[in-house]
Amino acid sequence: MSTPIPQQLTIPIGAADGPEITLLVDIGEQVSKYKKLAVINISAEGVSDVPVHAPTSGVITSIENSIVADHSQQQQLCINLAADGHDEALQLEPQSNYSLLSRTDIVFLIRDAGVIGMGGAGFPTADKLSKCAESAIEFLIINAAECEPYITADETLLRERANKVVLGAQILKRASAARRCIIAIEDTKPDAIDALNQALQNETGLDQGCELVVIPSKYPSGSERQLIQCVTGIEIATGHHPTENGIVMHNVGTAYAAYEAIVEGKPCISRFTTLCGQALKTPKNFEVLIGTTADFLFELCGIETSNKQKSIVGGSLMGSEFGSDKAAICKTTNCIIAASANEFQAPQAEQACIRCGFCADVCPSKLLPQQLLAFSKTADTTQLLGHGLLDCIECGACDYVCPSQLPLVSTYKESKKRIENRRQDLELSDYWQQRFQFHQYRVKKEKDQAVSRKAVVPAKPTLAAEPAVKEQNDEADFISKEQASLDIAAAVARVKARRDEKNK
Amino acid sequence: MSDLMAGAPFQHSGRNIAQLMQTLLYALLPGIFASLWFFGFGILINIAIAITFAVLAEAAMLRLRNRVSRTHLSDRSALVTALLFAIAIPPGSPWWLVALGIVFAIVIAKHLYGGLGKNPFNPAMCGYAMLLLAFPLEMTGWHIPFEVINGPLTVDNLGIPALTAERELLSPLSWGGFKQALLLAFPFAASGAIDISEFVDGLAMATPLIEFKMAGKSALLAARESGVSLFARESETAWEIINISYLLGGLFLLYKRIISWHIPLAIISTVFVLAALFYAPGHVAIYGTPYLHLFGSATMIGAFFIATDPVSAATTRPGKLVYGIIIGVSIYSIRVWGSYLDSIAFAVLFGNFCAPILDQYCRPRIFGHGLRSKTDRARPNEAPVKS
Repeated sequence: MSTPIPQQLTIPIGAADGPEITLLVDIGEQVSKYKKLAVINISAEGVSDVPVHAPTSGVITSIENSIVADHSQQQQLCINLAADGHDEALQLEPQSNYSLLSRTDIVFLIRDAGVIGMGGAGFPTADKLSKCAESAIEFLIINAAECEPYITADETLLRERANKVVLGAQILKRASAARRCIIAIEDTKPDAIDALNQALQNETGLDQGCELVVIPSKYPSGSERQLIQCVTGIEIATGHHPTENGIVMHNVGTAYAAYEAIVEGKPCISRFTTLCGQALKTPKNFEVLIGTTADFLFELCGIETSNKQKSIVGGSLMGSEFGSDKAAICKTTNCIIAASANEFQAPQAEQACIRCGFCADVCPSKLLPQQLLAFSKTADTTQLLGHGLLDCIECGACDYVCPSQLPLVSTYKESKKRIENRRQDLELSDYWQQRFQFHQYRVKKEKDQAVSRKAVVPAKPTLAAEPAVKEQNDEADFISKEQASLDIAAAVARVKARRDEKNK
Repeated sequence: MSDLMAGAPFQHSGRNIAQLMQTLLYALLPGIFASLWFFGFGILINIAIAITFAVLAEAAMLRLRNRVSRTHLSDRSALVTALLFAIAIPPGSPWWLVALGIVFAIVIAKHLYGGLGKNPFNPAMCGYAMLLLAFPLEMTGWHIPFEVINGPLTVDNLGIPALTAERELLSPLSWGGFKQALLLAFPFAASGAIDISEFVDGLAMATPLIEFKMAGKSALLAARESGVSLFARESETAWEIINISYLLGGLFLLYKRIISWHIPLAIISTVFVLAALFYAPGHVAIYGTPYLHLFGSATMIGAFFIATDPVSAATTRPGKLVYGIIIGVSIYSIRVWGSYLDSIAFAVLFGNFCAPILDQYCRPRIFGHGLRSKTDRARPNEAPVKS
C-alpha cells in the first residue's frame, strides 16, 4: 500500500563527509516528479554516479543537514521539498521490450534511475552489474530472505508484486549475463512463496527462467555470504568478492527497482518499508516515497506517542536507534520500529563471562565471541585479528543468546574502530617519517651540491619543468637508496646470524 | 560506552546465568534422590552445611571485593559449587570437613582468582582435592546407617572394634538413620549415652571401585536375576542407580542445551575405550570392566556436571573434545595406575590446566578462512543447488 504524498519531503543526498555531490537544482526552484535533483559522485572517475530524483512535484525550500533513518547515525545533506500535491510528472521512457537492450544499455538505465542495493548495503547496483562483466557469472541470487526479525518489507513486496520482481530478476540476470537465476526465500513465508510460484509460472521472460529455492529460516540467512553458502554450498573466502566465484546477489527490492527503471522507465523514488513496533496501533508495510519523514508514517499507523520509547531503523538485532522522528526514509530504509517501553528488555546488569560458548554455537562466521571479548578487554590486537575480529558481521546473534547480557557486538565494534584508528595513525606516522627523512636527505644533498658547484661550473637547466621532475627522481632515488641500505643491513644480519650459529 | 555504540541488538533471548544455574540444580535432583535413598540423610546434611558456608563465604568475599552482593549472589553459582562439592564428599563426614572444603573452594579457588568467570580451576574440585590430600582418612569412608543388634562391641587389645558383632543395616530413610547421620556430622551434639565412635569406626563402606563387587557383572542384572528389588539396599545396585540418575540429569542438561555434548561424550567414550582395551577377564580385580568404570563410580557426574563447568573448561568445540579426552585418560590412569580410588577431581583439575592452551590452538575454522587456492574451490558449475 502506498502512502499519501506528504507535504514535506526531506530527500537525503549524502553524508557531509561522504562523496562529492553535484547539485542540479537551486533553492526556490519548482521541480516536477522524477526530476534529477542531485548526483552523488561515489568515485572520482564518474562511473559510480548515483542520481537522486524528485519523488513528487513541488518547490525546493532548503538544502541542509538533517537526520536520516539509516545506520550511520549521522546527519546527511538533504534537499527539502515542499510538495504541491499535483504530482506533476516528467514524461517517462518505458522500455517495453527490454529483451532488445544490450547489457551496457541496461546498466546505463539502471544507473540513471539511481538504483542502489535496497537490502541495506546501498551499493550502486550498476557498479555491481559492471563488476559482473569481469568474470563469468554462474549464479544470480535474488535475496528474498529477510535479514532480521521485525522486517517484512521484502515479503510484502513479493506478495503484492511477485510478477514484477521476477521480471526485474530477469533484467538483472540479463545485465549480469548469469547462467542461472535463483530466488532464495525462507520457508516461513508461504504467501510470498505462493505468489512467486504463480509469477514464475506466468513468466514471459526471454532466457531460461528463474528458479525458486526455499531455505530454512536460520538467522542470519539473509546475510550475503551465509545465503550463498546455504543456496549453492559455496563458501566465499574472506577478502574475496562473490563474483570471483561466479556469484552475484541482489535484494528483491533491487530487482523490483530494476524492473521499474527499465520496464516503466521510472527512477528509484520509493521503496517498501515496514512500520512496526508495539507503540503503533496498526503496524503496516508501505510503499514509501524516499524522503518521507518517520513521524508522517507513524501517524499513518496510529502512534501512541506516550508509549514510544525509541525509534529504530532496521530490525531488532542489527538496527540502529535514531534520535529524531523527523528522520527521512532513504533508499536503504527497510524497517522502522517504534518500540514501546517494555518491548525490548532494558539491558540487565552485565555479569561476568562464564565462557559457556553459546555465542560460539550461534556465530555464523564460526568465530569465538567469548575469546574475542577477553582479547577486546585487554586490547590484544594480534589475538583479535588472529581470532577473526574483522570477520564479524555484527549480526548480534551472540548478544541475543548471551546469558551474562554482555554487549558483545558493541565491544567488537569498538575494538574494530580502535584497530582501524591505530592503523591509520601508523600509516600517517610512516608517511611523515618518510617525508622527514626525504627532507633531511634533500637538505644534505643540496649542501653537497653547493660544495661541488664551487668546483665545477653547473650546466644551465634546459627545461622549466625540470625541478619537479628532478625532485621526483630524487625521491625515487632516495627510496631506492633507502631500500638498498635496508637490504644491506638485512644481508649483514643474515651473515651474522649464520656465523653465530656456526660458533655455537 | 559511546552513544553511537549503545543499542543493537535490542532483542535478547532472556536467558541469564541464574536460569542456567537453576536448571543445573534441577538436573542434579535425581542423583541426589538416589543417593538419599541408598545412603541416607548424610548427603542432605552435607548439602545443607555446604550451602550455608558457601553463601556465607560468597557474601563475605563479595563484600570484601566491593561487589553488590545481591546481584552477584542471585546468580546462584555458589549454590551450584556447594551442591557439586557436597555430593562429592562422603555422607557422614563431620561438619568441619565439609565447611573447610567449601570455604576453600569459594574463597581461594574462586574469589582470589577474580570471582565468577575468572577462576582457572573448578572450585568444587579444588575444595575436594584439598580435603583428599589433607584428610585422606575422612575422605575415603562411606558411612551407612546401621544398628548394632547383639550388644556392645567387643574391643580387642589394640582398641579396634571387632567385627564379630552383628549389625543390621538401618533403613537409610528411617528416623534412626537420620539421627545417626546428624550425629556423624555434628559429633559434639552426641550425649554421653551414645558412643559416636561406634558409628565412625564401625562401618565405613568404601566406594565400590575398591571392592570390585560389580567387577564381573552388573549388580542391576544380578539383582534382576535373583529377583531382588532393584531399589533394595541389599541388592547393591546403589552406585549403578545413582550413576544412571546423574546420566539422566546430564541428558536433561543436553536437552536444555545448557551443556554441549562434546565434553561428556569425549570423557565417557575415552574411559570406555581404555577400560575395554585393558580389560582382561582374568584380571578383573586389577582393571575392572568398562561397565564398572562408567557406572561403578563418579564417572557420570564428573562427565556431565563437573568437567562441563564452562568457566574452567575449554571453550572451543574442538578444544572441548580434546579436553574431554585428556580428562578421560586421566580418570582411567589415576584409577588404575595411581594411588587414588576415584580420580574425577584430579582428572578435572588436570584438564583445567590444559584448557587455556587448548582454546588457543584448537579453534574452529573461521567462515571463509583457510580455503585452498581459488582454483581448488568448488567450481560454481559443479556445485549442486540444494532445493
